[in-house]
Amino acid sequence: MKLEELRGKLIYQALLVGAAALLTSALLSFFSQATEADIKAAEEADLKASLAQVLPGAYENDLLKDTVTLPGKEGEVLVYRGRRKGKVEAVVYQVSGNGYAGSIVCVMGVSREGKILGVRVIKHKETPGLGDKIEPAKGDWIHSFEGRWLGDPVTEKWAVKKDGGVFDQFAGATITPRGVVNAVKGGLAFFEGNKAQLLDEGVQP
Amino acid sequence: MNPIAHSPHAHAPASIGKVMATVLLALVPATLFGFWLYGWPAVNLWAVALIAAIAGEAFVVRMQGRKVRTVIMDGSGILTAWLLALSLPPYAPWWIAVLGSLFAVIIGKQVFGGLGQNVFNPAMAARVMLLISFPLEMTTWVAPSQAPGLLESLRITFLSQPIDGMASASLLGHVKTEFTRGIGLDQALVGYYTPMDMLWGSRAGSLGETAAVLLLIGGLFLIARRIITWHAPFAMLLGVAVPALLFNAIDANHYAGPMVHLLSGGLMLGAFFIVTDPVTSPNTALGQFIFGLGCGMLTWIIRTWGGYPEGVAFAVLLMNAATPIIDQYVKPRIYGRDRKGVALVVKKEL
Amino acid sequence: MNEKYARITKDGLWNNNVVFAQMLALCPLLAVTSSATNGLGMGLASTAVLLLSNIIVSSVRHLISPEVRIPVYIVLIATLVTLVDMSLNAWAHELYKVLGLFIALIVVNCAILGRAEAFASKNSVLDAALDGLMMGLGFTFALVVIGGVREIFGSGTLFANAHLLLGPAFAFLELTIVPQYKGFLLMILPPGGFLVTGLLLAWKRVLDARRAEKAALVAEEAAS
Repeated sequence: MKLEELRGKLIYQALLVGAAALLTSALLSFFSQATEADIKAAEEADLKASLAQVLPGAYENDLLKDTVTLPGKEGEVLVYRGRRKGKVEAVVYQVSGNGYAGSIVCVMGVSREGKILGVRVIKHKETPGLGDKIEPAKGDWIHSFEGRWLGDPVTEKWAVKKDGGVFDQFAGATITPRGVVNAVKGGLAFFEGNKAQLLDEGVQP
Repeated sequence: MNPIAHSPHAHAPASIGKVMATVLLALVPATLFGFWLYGWPAVNLWAVALIAAIAGEAFVVRMQGRKVRTVIMDGSGILTAWLLALSLPPYAPWWIAVLGSLFAVIIGKQVFGGLGQNVFNPAMAARVMLLISFPLEMTTWVAPSQAPGLLESLRITFLSQPIDGMASASLLGHVKTEFTRGIGLDQALVGYYTPMDMLWGSRAGSLGETAAVLLLIGGLFLIARRIITWHAPFAMLLGVAVPALLFNAIDANHYAGPMVHLLSGGLMLGAFFIVTDPVTSPNTALGQFIFGLGCGMLTWIIRTWGGYPEGVAFAVLLMNAATPIIDQYVKPRIYGRDRKGVALVVKKEL
Repeated sequence: MNEKYARITKDGLWNNNVVFAQMLALCPLLAVTSSATNGLGMGLASTAVLLLSNIIVSSVRHLISPEVRIPVYIVLIATLVTLVDMSLNAWAHELYKVLGLFIALIVVNCAILGRAEAFASKNSVLDAALDGLMMGLGFTFALVVIGGVREIFGSGTLFANAHLLLGPAFAFLELTIVPQYKGFLLMILPPGGFLVTGLLLAWKRVLDARRAEKAALVAEEAAS
């Protein structure tokens, strides 16, 4: 057999590995291009769906295209803005607080009047069974923020009940809800502090 | 042939049953104190744990076709359940004790082949299992001084009746919670830490882990009876106290001092009754010292930087896993050979 | 000939099961089997990759020098997995969100390289395809059983979220075994995976031992 002889040769083996690598790379790059647009579209739809959770209602513009980046307490904050009749009606941005086991990252939607439209926790490492009641799937605690603003409750009451505030803590877990409440409170303060830029009304003609 | 040879005979060490009975005796003071401190619910929980362990062990030993009586009478299952009960919150519901005991004797011990074969301390394995599975039930502490009646205690243990206004925090948990509010140790400890109460154990905590002095007495009794040696317990206390002392000196407002650490959580119970378990700890004195030191330092590390306020159980399990390695490197010298096992050459004097 | 196919099928599904006999692929197994649905998804994706890789390896087996076979197989398998990953991401995004994390894990699934090495490189394309399919189904079976046990004990449900994986038509699979279940977190966490896998391994051994005993008895009777 000729093939058998060939297979033992070093040059054949080198060429074989090379050919395999070349073929698979070509296949991968072709496939990557073929799927790129679809993947991007799917991911954008995904992001939009998660933004819609904290930003109920319809907006005339594409949220993903109308963004502004502002300096926050912990680095830059990327803000998505939803408009109706050209006016910014609502904004969405990320805030984070310290939980029991590392930081808790939330995304919150705030209306033009400064009222909370919705809050969702998107990343946390809290104890399963204790602190994870901040997830909407495990409890409706996270909905207790909706409709609140910095005047309801008054600033001193923006805390869990154990610290003299109005928000419930969970049995066996105080640190987690405390972290979320602080994060949301900080987020509202960020809104008040940057209102002009956020609502795109900084420069009046 | 008659196996008994001529005298002189070496005195056989005590039987397993006898050793276990002595250890149980050493636990009695701390246990009785726990009963007195937390009342009837503690008694219920302890009884449920013991019954579940005996029944569960009898069942699986029967399945293996071994003699049930011998296994139960060696007392190791009872000791395991007893230690587990002492580490539970006193008002925990009955199924916590049942699940924990069954896990300890079946998964923790019998699956490996029974007494002497298990890699991990069964009581601590069960405690960790309960803690990660039921964090709420396992961290609901009560302050002492309430004394529910017998009937009410049955409702607490068996119907999981909520205990309004009685929930409290253990010292370690309380300190951890206060830190996140930006409150330093000097304030967090006010009203929570009084050395005398800590010493006697009159505080919120596990059923039988709070009475530091009584546990210490029990441990010293075991050392005096030569059931255990001082190496592992002493090393464990050292492993906690030294880093606590060091870091407390650096920043007293953020790191609790050695006394707080030594007297809180399950450290005393762990040092004298858990890390001295002959099955899951190294064989040599030096090995036991290293083992205890590792347990102590890991406990301190987990308490200080870990996700849970208490770390004794986790530390013990981690060091259990390291036991074979310690035994590998710290071997006793064989008589007539050097440390490497090479036969000694006797030099003849001329 | 039929006997051979029967043997390959039986080997893949039970006798030489990837998990219960070969003890391979334990890493993805422990990672995904927190529910039966996850197990099913991972199993089906692995089956697809296993089938394709067996076919490809078998069809090029004469070209490949034994000295360089491992790198060639690995490049092939990694490419296949990446293709599956990208196509799911693009065209089945909902499914990808459930499985996305685990697809990449298929690369480290040693069962695939194992079958390429042990079977596909020595057998005809048809045999290799059947072997890949059966090994994959056996793996899926193991994942679903382990995931199911963990899910029932851990959260009191079975096949929760199956509609995300298989489409709304399969919503009937979703069962609540224990209503108002508090949850037994240990089972969902990694230690539960070890415990359940160990207990099921013991269970398979008991079954096989019993069967062998019976077979021995029958043989004895026939001999006497």
